[in-house]
Amino acid sequence: MSTQVEHSNLHPSALSSHPLIGAREVAKIYRMGQTEVAALDHVSMGVDEGEFVAIQGTSGSGKSTLLNLLGGLDRPTSGEVIFDGRSLAPFSKKEMARYRRRSVGMIFQGFNLIMTMTAVENVRLALAFGGLRGRERDARAEELLARVGLEGRLDHRPAELSGGEQQRVSIARALANRPRVLLADEPTGNLDSTRAHEILGLLRAMVDRDRLTVIMVTHDQELAASFADRIIFMKDGKIIERNAEVRSN
Amino acid sequence: MPFLDILQLSLRNLREAKLRATLTTMGVIVGVAVIVTMVSFGLGLQRNTVERFKALDLFNELTVYGQSVANLAMSRSGGNQNTNRVDENGRRQRPLLPNSKPATRILDEAAVAEIETIPGVVYVEPVIVFTPFVRSNGRVFTELVAGASVPNESSRFKEFAAGSMISSSDAAEVVVTEQWTQSFGYEKPADALGKTLEFLAPPEKKKDEREEEKDSGASFFGIPLDEEESGEDAGKDALVARSFRIVGVLKEQKGQQGGGFRGLTANASIFVSLKAARDWTTEYRNPMTEVALELARSQGAIDEKQAEGFVSATVRVTDPVVLTNVRTRLTELGFQSFSIMDQLEQLRTVFLIINATLGLLGGISLLVASFGIANTMIMSILERTREIGIMKAIGAEDGEIRLIFFVEAAVIGFVGGVIGVLTAWGIDGLSNRLAYRYILKPQNASYVDFFYIPSYLWLGAIAFAVLVSIIAALYPASRAARIDPVKALRHD
Ligand SMILES: Nc1ncnc2c1ncn2[C@@H]1O[C@H](COP(=O)(O)OP(=O)(O)OP(=O)(O)O)[C@@H](O)[C@H]1O
Ligand SMILES: [Mg+2]
Repeated sequence: MSTQVEHSNLHPSALSSHPLIGAREVAKIYRMGQTEVAALDHVSMGVDEGEFVAIQGTSGSGKSTLLNLLGGLDRPTSGEVIFDGRSLAPFSKKEMARYRRRSVGMIFQGFNLIMTMTAVENVRLALAFGGLRGRERDARAEELLARVGLEGRLDHRPAELSGGEQQRVSIARALANRPRVLLADEPTGNLDSTRAHEILGLLRAMVDRDRLTVIMVTHDQELAASFADRIIFMKDGKIIERNAEVRSN
Repeated sequence: MPFLDILQLSLRNLREAKLRATLTTMGVIVGVAVIVTMVSFGLGLQRNTVERFKALDLFNELTVYGQSVANLAMSRSGGNQNTNRVDENGRRQRPLLPNSKPATRILDEAAVAEIETIPGVVYVEPVIVFTPFVRSNGRVFTELVAGASVPNESSRFKEFAAGSMISSSDAAEVVVTEQWTQSFGYEKPADALGKTLEFLAPPEKKKDEREEEKDSGASFFGIPLDEEESGEDAGKDALVARSFRIVGVLKEQKGQQGGGFRGLTANASIFVSLKAARDWTTEYRNPMTEVALELARSQGAIDEKQAEGFVSATVRVTDPVVLTNVRTRLTELGFQSFSIMDQLEQLRTVFLIINATLGLLGGISLLVASFGIANTMIMSILERTREIGIMKAIGAEDGEIRLIFFVEAAVIGFVGGVIGVLTAWGIDGLSNRLAYRYILKPQNASYVDFFYIPSYLWLGAIAFAVLVSIIAALYPASRAARIDPVKALRHD
């Protein structure tokens, strides 16, 4: 796709000293009784607006931990997460919730949809937390689901949808309140290769068209290489290789 | 998030766990039903007791006392104010009035008019009582006669066994009691209607009046005045002084022994219009009163023109609520007053204790229900941990999560409260009916509503149920709000 090439050409990490989202000397230590587990060991990284970055690494290397910190679901033991030039460290709980609601959207391997709600209700819930109401909310929920190709599945419950469809619902939900960053933790982990390509194609298109920023954790080298602009490799809570440019084609 | 969305979420959560929500609500229903049934029984008991008094006009009537001339005269001549004054029949002249200053003003016509202007006063009826010889149906006895305002809204003149009230204050008509008709040999109350009733007075000395008025206290707490004199020698040569027509026979109050008094006025057996009573007492003055008046005048306690006034008057008020205000005003004006309300304060305290105890018993059952609510909430939070994590991940604030659970609890409390009140209402109705059918009716008693559910009781019970439910949800809700989304979302 031409857009992808175009986009890679003006790769921002080289140009910009001001990434949209990043971590500065972030450490996360879990205490288990006597022993301490350093899930993240002073990690610094940054992702620019409109960039699609994949994070790879062995199991237990701290990928999910990093993503959760970037998504404001958790706070680092030391160091700080930076979004749009501002540190999240001084944020109150309420401000953190607002950050999760407005600035970032998250999708997960297990989809994490509310099982008792239909597709459109799941999306509406996110819109409701975002403060949208009435007809405007209904219209936007349907529009979001149409964007991920689910206009025919509005009233299906997650159990009545395929894995790929469920993940699309969760993408629609993640994008509900127009976040600037989408954080995805193994979004294709439960999907077969064809579905995985469909989903990542969808994300890629959003990056290219809407300058969405995507940070995706994945195990899959092939997927990372074909959809991400850049791959970050992690091991034992550290970043071991950060500028693997993969999409210069 | 708008509150309507919170409410929707809460209702959805309850729908998702219908059985559990229903069982929890049952606990609240039982608690509220017990509270409302218990307290409504206590309040019913109180109401039935108080209504009884109210029906007797004990709450809308008070007695006002003026300064008596006899008292004035004696005090001036160094007589002891505190002597227990005794009238010629040996009865104490007035009841002891605790916490009440003695009257310093004479209760005359002007005073009556002034009292009538006090806000809340319907009318003032001076107590005029006398005991003339009375002849009717060929029999003669001395009877206690009282003056009554015409028309009269006192409950004393509400029920007639036959006939009706005196038509106007100028009419030469009387109303008698059922008992009177018996002592005068009428077979049925109706037989007395239209018959003549005569007051007798000695022909040669018109001014011999048998007795000046008695004060109400004596006749009301004392023995009714129908000491009968044997009809043979008394009144043989007497001349008819006044002649009346019997127009009404008062119905004897059921369930009231001893003839039964109504209101605070004297227990007379014959009632004439106030005007007729006044005419009689001016014409046949009590010599003792004359003496007292002369004494008072000569000592300058009252001036020449001033009359002795009434000993007491019955004041009818619009509402028991204004009673205290009217009494305060009367004291300011220099009169002494008496009301049964004072005696009832004690009764109120007793009922307060009864109701509090009954409410407490109900409260305990609601407390038990509140543990049920807390348990249900915690269970549902454990079940919905992931869901709460998701909500937090998509931006729910802790406060919003907490509110969802509070609203859930409040809905349980509200629904339980409403159904509980309805249940109590049903129980009350059923109990009344069963009591009537198996206890009252076999004894020929009339239907009694044993319960009373005032609006503050049912509104309060529902509010209380909601409050208790929210308190029960305090811990579960804060626990839900504290759920760590990272842990909640970790996939298995
Ligand atoms: N809540 C926790 N308590 C204790 N240790 C934790 C907790 N969460 C993560 N860890 C530890 O932190 C390290 C990093 O975990 P993390 O989930 O970030 O790994 P990951 O790279 O996502 O692994 P995977 O590829 O298997 O998902 C692991 O050793 C894990 O055991
Ligand atoms: Mg992981």
